[in-house]
Amino acid sequence: MDNLDDFKAIWHAADTKTLPSSEEMLKLISNFRGQKLRNKWLVIISSLILCVLFIAVLCIFSFRLWTTYIGGSLMALASLWLAINNFRSIKRFRQLDDSNNLEFIAFLEQTRKNQVYYYTRTMIYVLAGYSAGYMLYIYELIYKYPTWFTVVYSTFGIYVAVMWFVVRPRAFRRDAARLNAIQQRHEKLLNQFE
Amino acid sequence: MQTFDEIYRRYSPQIYRVCLGYTNDPEHAKDLLQDTFIAVWQGLPSFRQQSQVSTWIFRIATNRCLRAMEVAKRMPSEELPFNLAEPRVDSKEEKLKFLYQCIAELNETDRIIISLELEGLAQAEIASVVGLSSGNIRVKIHRIKEKLTQKFKAHGQFR
Repeated sequence: MDNLDDFKAIWHAADTKTLPSSEEMLKLISNFRGQKLRNKWLVIISSLILCVLFIAVLCIFSFRLWTTYIGGSLMALASLWLAINNFRSIKRFRQLDDSNNLEFIAFLEQTRKNQVYYYTRTMIYVLAGYSAGYMLYIYELIYKYPTWFTVVYSTFGIYVAVMWFVVRPRAFRRDAARLNAIQQRHEKLLNQFE
Repeated sequence: MQTFDEIYRRYSPQIYRVCLGYTNDPEHAKDLLQDTFIAVWQGLPSFRQQSQVSTWIFRIATNRCLRAMEVAKRMPSEELPFNLAEPRVDSKEEKLKFLYQCIAELNETDRIIISLELEGLAQAEIASVVGLSSGNIRVKIHRIKEKLTQKFKAHGQFR
């Protein structure tokens, strides 16, 4: 007796009667479709709205100081960059579904590298753009009021320092461990193809 | 061009068994099945038939399996000992459970390859799903079959 045939007979004994019908599956799909990319779409839409808002404010209102225009433009650019980065990521995922397993693992590894780049470069540029932009943007509003000037800039300085030196390194350490584990798993998977 | 309904009716049992073979967990397999058919539903209008529908669907399903990182944590990583002291069981359910247990101990790509082979896919199609040459697939299937046979014999399932 051929063992493969025996294995096939056992394999096909699995109960598949409890699977949802196609109608039930369509209902499930309509509930859950797009849920996984929803966060990315939220980031894209919010960033684009912010970008348009910054540009609109700069176009509609007339400001006296050039710092306001530079600050607003910097924040608009940082928002636009965040939106473009997340959109590229979604586009890559959409192009993926007809890849074989080997191509797919290579894609996952590239995604991991992109995530590392996102943490080590993109986030820094976006945070720097928003921080510098905000500081320049509000200068016109408060430079005539020393108390407000001190309160606003020192509060914002503390906020940026905490984000920069506490929150970001902590988040990066946590994600670095996860990304390293993913890298090891990809290497293990790729070795299986040799 | 097949409709989603036709595709689902035809392939869902196969996809479920492949996912179950990979995860050894019925609930997780159902999640992966759902995930697969969400991708099929989204991709069907733009599917350009550069490959067969079955190849496309099995690629989606097996890629979903590979991506399910948390699944790996549930998998037993140790080899099954050959001198298992469990009593011999001949019921179909027990044999199926033991087969899943043996497949779960294979590495990830071997799990996928043997699941597709047991589903009756041609070796050329398995090669196209996995991304290896047909010759390589043939050798791997032979080795996996040997491993499974040894384990089943050690467990008293085959004479």
